[in-house]
Amino acid sequence: MKKKILVANRGEIAIRIIRAVQELGYTAVAVYETPDNDALHIRVADEAVWLGDGPRSDYLNIEKVIKAARKVGADAIHPGYGFLAENPDFAKACEDTGLIFIGPSSEVISQLGDKVTARRIMAEAGIPMVPGTQNLKAGGEGVAEAVAFGAEYGYPIMLKATAGGGGRGIRRVENEAQLRAEIHVARAEAKAAFNNDNVYIEKVVLTPKHVEVQILADAKGKTVHLGSRDCSIQRRNQKLVEIAPSLIKDRKLVDEICATAVRAAKAANYFNAGTVEFLVDKEMNYYFMEINTRIQVEHTVSEMVTGIDIVRTQIKLAMGKDLAFDQKDVQIRGFAIEVRVNAEDPQNNFMPEAGKKVTVYRSPGGYGVRLDGFVYQGYTIPEDYDSLLVKMTVFGFSWNETVDRLRRCLANYVITGPKTTIPFYLKLVNDPDFQSGDFDTSFIETHPELIEYDEQGSEVNKLARLIAEIHYEQQNKYAI
Amino acid sequence: MERIVTGMSITEVLETMRGNEGYYVTNTARDLSQSDFKNRILLHTELLAAPAREKANYFSLEITGGASVHVDILRKQVDPFLKLELLRDKMPNTMFQTLCRGVNLFGYRPYPQNVIRLTVREFAKYVDVWRVFDFMNHIPNMLAVFEEVQKAGKILEPCICFSTGPEHTDDFYVNKVGEILDVTGDEILLCIKNHGGLGTPKRIGQLVAAIKDRYPDIVIHYHGHNTDGNDVGRISAAVRNGAKVIDAADHSFTGYYGPPPILSVIHDLREEGFEPVGLDDSAIIETSEILRNEREHYEYFESQFKGFSPTVQIHKLPGGAMGSSFEQAVKGDFLDKMPEILHDELPKVQKELGNYWSVTPGSQILWTTAVNNVLGGDRYGNPTGDLKNLLLGKYGPFPFYQPPDWIYEKVFGPDWKKILEEEGGLDDIEDIDIEKERAGLAKRLGYEPTEQQLVTYLQHPNDAVEFFKFEEKFGKVYVLPPSIFLRRGGFKLGETLQFKDHNGKEHVIEIGPKQKSEDGEWKVYLNVDHHEREYSFKEVVQGSVAQEAQLSKEEVEDLARVGDVRAPFKANVCEISVEAGQEVRIGDRLAMVEAMKMQTPVDSVVNGKIEKIFAELGQALKVGDKMIKIKVDEG
Repeated sequence: MKKKILVANRGEIAIRIIRAVQELGYTAVAVYETPDNDALHIRVADEAVWLGDGPRSDYLNIEKVIKAARKVGADAIHPGYGFLAENPDFAKACEDTGLIFIGPSSEVISQLGDKVTARRIMAEAGIPMVPGTQNLKAGGEGVAEAVAFGAEYGYPIMLKATAGGGGRGIRRVENEAQLRAEIHVARAEAKAAFNNDNVYIEKVVLTPKHVEVQILADAKGKTVHLGSRDCSIQRRNQKLVEIAPSLIKDRKLVDEICATAVRAAKAANYFNAGTVEFLVDKEMNYYFMEINTRIQVEHTVSEMVTGIDIVRTQIKLAMGKDLAFDQKDVQIRGFAIEVRVNAEDPQNNFMPEAGKKVTVYRSPGGYGVRLDGFVYQGYTIPEDYDSLLVKMTVFGFSWNETVDRLRRCLANYVITGPKTTIPFYLKLVNDPDFQSGDFDTSFIETHPELIEYDEQGSEVNKLARLIAEIHYEQQNKYAI
Repeated sequence: MERIVTGMSITEVLETMRGNEGYYVTNTARDLSQSDFKNRILLHTELLAAPAREKANYFSLEITGGASVHVDILRKQVDPFLKLELLRDKMPNTMFQTLCRGVNLFGYRPYPQNVIRLTVREFAKYVDVWRVFDFMNHIPNMLAVFEEVQKAGKILEPCICFSTGPEHTDDFYVNKVGEILDVTGDEILLCIKNHGGLGTPKRIGQLVAAIKDRYPDIVIHYHGHNTDGNDVGRISAAVRNGAKVIDAADHSFTGYYGPPPILSVIHDLREEGFEPVGLDDSAIIETSEILRNEREHYEYFESQFKGFSPTVQIHKLPGGAMGSSFEQAVKGDFLDKMPEILHDELPKVQKELGNYWSVTPGSQILWTTAVNNVLGGDRYGNPTGDLKNLLLGKYGPFPFYQPPDWIYEKVFGPDWKKILEEEGGLDDIEDIDIEKERAGLAKRLGYEPTEQQLVTYLQHPNDAVEFFKFEEKFGKVYVLPPSIFLRRGGFKLGETLQFKDHNGKEHVIEIGPKQKSEDGEWKVYLNVDHHEREYSFKEVVQGSVAQEAQLSKEEVEDLARVGDVRAPFKANVCEISVEAGQEVRIGDRLAMVEAMKMQTPVDSVVNGKIEKIFAELGQALKVGDKMIKIKVDEG
């Protein structure tokens, strides 16, 4: 019988997964909450199950998702990213019901999701790590522990929620007084956000590059990497632009980081697709940060430079297939850049533009362009979910060619209705520091001029505005 | 050398002219038509005509000055300096000419000396020939401009304004020329400014001859208008009697208003044995062929008044004021009163007010007074601020005689003699602090203005700021042809608009649908260089404003007596003279408002203290809009 896979997600990633499922000849089942009634992932899927009114709560409801999978007779569930993707309870629930969870085992998720456990495993495997502590003890003892760490390694330091991830649950502390004051706040926040008030401390690596490595591992333990990615261009720990491969000049170092990533994955008995994240400091020291046990938003750039369909591979691995290639078969060719086109107003502190209708949608095309999105002309962006509309990934043979292509595609991208991050990226792509390829996580902070664009900027757009006004008013009121 | 080109000094120009048998032509593009039509001719059109005009070899092209600086920013949304720069690119050899209203510069009332000097200095960078006049023919009013023009090494062309009537004798005018030469020296062109196109050819011929008789070496430039259809006759007479330069215009843009066709003048004078020096007939024809195609786009702005107007000899209203007077009559719904105003009241008012020259801003005062007299019923019962200033001698002494006492009494009340004694005469206008003005402009714009922007601002502060903001928002719009810029009734769906922007880049805009969206906003879709763009417009609910009851004149006056100062008529605020908390007495000026080029003071009718100021500088007020609240003193 034709295999059936339930995609427990929404938005662009749901569509990305559905495409892979359908390419494999399987049946794709979508799930949705009421606010997503008009969503495209329901339209492209072969079947769809309504979970409830949500918002968000039903996508996060393990019981309802499992029930939906059983109802449609699904063989497997792909969690995508976000929602239940890194929730070990969900993987466990799948395992318990005999559903294939497309991802690592609940145990691995659980271990790696607990940052302190992960650090311990990596330390044992001899993976270089940023100096840090175990989970801080409760109460005054924990505070003393933290203060002692600060005294030894110096400030600033990071207070991190053990159960956090994806840039959430992190607080930067500049001095001892602040540390004393903020431990409680961090705990309370962690408790509220992750239902786990454990926090730990890491030294801050100042203005590092964020370099990560895509890993694929089969059930027999064969583990390969698909090269590096640079995700340094972030705003408040949220990635905006991702590049493959890393642009670090010292290629030997990059190779070493990739090899280390494979070692790290093996140490964790990793299975399926995952990402090992590192920080690289000014002196080109690199430190393990964490392993993300899910498909990542930015997986597309690795696909573009390796030609390997990561989601398809994920499904096949989950279905019990072995990796059909070895490390030596993985060739990195050219460069890929992904920008996240969000419905946000960069000039208004990246405020989400949800609730707005996309009145005109025209996407760029041509050689070396890939779009992973879910918007269409006439679509009203729901207010209840994140603001990512489309991931645009461009590919080129050289870095310069890739940058040129990105510029062209951004200039040709028309989305009206909501404001988007496109004009911001247009400024970025013309920034000499970006073009040089040498940047770190301080890039956005140190380039505040990126938001200084005039949306109707060019001379012709200004004139067009007047023409529109003459047309609307039936006369030129500036010539009366 | 025959041809006169840019860069020649006044001495070379005069020598060249005197040494030639023929005459020279100024293409009076600026004054082409005096109705609203003139105010509309876009830089886009001037640029189209520029190469052919350059080839024609005129003595000069009058392309700036008069009201043009104001209408450039007000109606064409073009920078008056950029205009000159772009035209200069296409016309390297043709001298550019301006018309400067003396102490009133390019505006409607006297400017401080330092503003005059700064303005002349900046414009002199582009303008070669400076025609300068004063509507009272009061030479001191022009002195500052004379000096600055000569200092800048440009060609000075002082005017004697011409009119008709028993006082307007040759002797009077020849003496005026003497007064001018006393202050300028001999190195000038002298202009006879016949802005109304008054008098017969014979009269003009006599005048030229009389001046030449007294000053045989003087080079005379005759400027006239074809309002009555006979300016070719006057030009011909002027040249036959010794005038060396005349004004005329491209024929496809002529009409009853403005100067007559260049080619008609040439044909006429050729028969008389006078050749236009260096002029290229075919280039003149070519220019008109180019302009003819453009004229249809200006049709909406052509005067409602068709045909020539020989009655100008009666009412003396210059061509420009004629067109706009009819427009006002249509808008103000008093078209039926026009014959009475023009042919009875206006000649009467002119005589009563001293038979001075009916040219800006004096012509506006005459016209407005005549209209108020007829519409108001009570002659001189509703004087404007500018009429008061005229009577007080703020524009200069009356040339022939003072208006009768009863008018003074009507305008200023029983104490008029005292008022005239205390306040009469030319004011010494104090220099303003230009750096303070610059800082004020910078604050309003949010950036440091250029010197040119400052100069434009000093002429017309509020309109200049509006224009700079417009340009920031909409860019350099002179690139749009009149078929776009002046389009009425909207564009057709699917219509394709093509133009080059200021940087020379070619663009295509296709008109898409116009729809009302669910949230009640209108959306206009354009395909801009093959990119779809959306523009939103909020609908202005019609009627809600109009239905608001407007206050009557009596109500406005009643409110003023309790300290609630309202706008007396539809006007723009051009000055707020008081600050909150200030004590005011009856008769103190609270603010100045401006409507139809005329400023009117709003004075306090109570004693009290300023409580609150509602009106803002530059605000467009409707009748009855709140301006100022005064706490009236008890008792």
